[in-house]
Amino acid sequence: MTSTLDQVGLQHYLAVGAIMFAIGLIGFISRRNLILMFLCTELMFQGVVINLVAFGGFVGFFAGLAFTIFVVVLAGAVASLAVGLIVLLFRHKATLDADAWRELRG
Amino acid sequence: MSVLAAASEVAWTAGSPLRGFVIVLLCALAAIGTVWALPGRRDPGWRVFGGTLLLVAGGILAALLTRWALASSGQKPGLSYVYFWVFAAVALAGSVRVITHPKPVYSALYFVLTTVATAGLFLLMWAEFMAAALVLIYAGAIVVTYVFVIMLAAEASGSDGGSGASAGLPDHDACARAPRLAPIVGFLTLGLLLFLIFERPPAALSKNPWGTASDGIATGHTQQLGVFLFRYHFVNIQLAGLLLTLAMIGAIMIARKRIVQSESSSRQVALAESPYDVEIPVVLGPPPKIEDNPHTIPVVGTMNPRQKAYPEN
Repeated sequence: MTSTLDQVGLQHYLAVGAIMFAIGLIGFISRRNLILMFLCTELMFQGVVINLVAFGGFVGFFAGLAFTIFVVVLAGAVASLAVGLIVLLFRHKATLDADAWRELRG
Repeated sequence: MSVLAAASEVAWTAGSPLRGFVIVLLCALAAIGTVWALPGRRDPGWRVFGGTLLLVAGGILAALLTRWALASSGQKPGLSYVYFWVFAAVALAGSVRVITHPKPVYSALYFVLTTVATAGLFLLMWAEFMAAALVLIYAGAIVVTYVFVIMLAAEASGSDGGSGASAGLPDHDACARAPRLAPIVGFLTLGLLLFLIFERPPAALSKNPWGTASDGIATGHTQQLGVFLFRYHFVNIQLAGLLLTLAMIGAIMIARKRIVQSESSSRQVALAESPYDVEIPVVLGPPPKIEDNPHTIPVVGTMNPRQKAYPEN
């Protein structure tokens, strides 16, 4: 097998994962649509997944991939529950605006 | 433990492609660009300018990293290096568009683009199973569900239509919530992460990824991963399946319609007392019997419980 990792170092992948995590964080704070907020959560999950796969690939052990599988399973569970909650909230107020539930802040 | 053995081989060197002040400058530039690029009721030219600033910051980061990687390896850039930058640029540009596009459906489609590019990055790391699983799960299942909810939840559009792409959108899509605070928090986090990544750089690690886990039974990476999972993580796999089942049951329980049992057998539709300005329909009557005839399945979400999903004539 020819190596593809001669020049692409571990830090390249870590930087891409960190940037993707930061973009997801910005979106989660700044967007007001409930569905977009959960999409940004998935974006943060993807940044973490890039980190896990990169560590697994560069250290040469399969624990990275195993943890990636569990993270993706968790993301799927979160997505299904989030969609259920969003449908429930939309049925109450007929809007996807997160600020419509402002009174929950107390 | 092979993990500890492999981690002990990591040599920490002092050479760094990014100094601290460079990281601070790049993060400040990108934060200013993000403030302007987030959706809001301003001139579309400002959003283009903010996107350009983001592009410049990313280009400087890529150029510094490329110069450092090529200088440390002492070779011409290989094909995989070009592939890495193509996939990384597509993934990051797609994720920026996810948070800056005012229309939610377009954001979801850009998320699909990000997912596909991330799968390409995984292929470069010889993690072909994870690449396929990522495309299947994210692009195939999660985003499709989100797009369905976006399209089913038709909202009233905002009264004041903005200009350009944000015209006719509701206000919470067209305007970001904290357009200055959010980039500050995000790029503060990113700066700290980049500082930790690049100020303590490990040297070039193993040249042969996935080389240490040789088993004798399985040969491909996917087979080795399967052997690893079912040998060391057997209970975790079962728990993951149980978690998915519980999440599915929970989602059905959350999103189902409330059916109130009443004494009289005649079915009628009443409007429940709602503290909000939207009336919630509650079906009074016995719950519908479970049948496998598709012509008798009532439509959930209509005011008429007798309405059939498929008209019989």
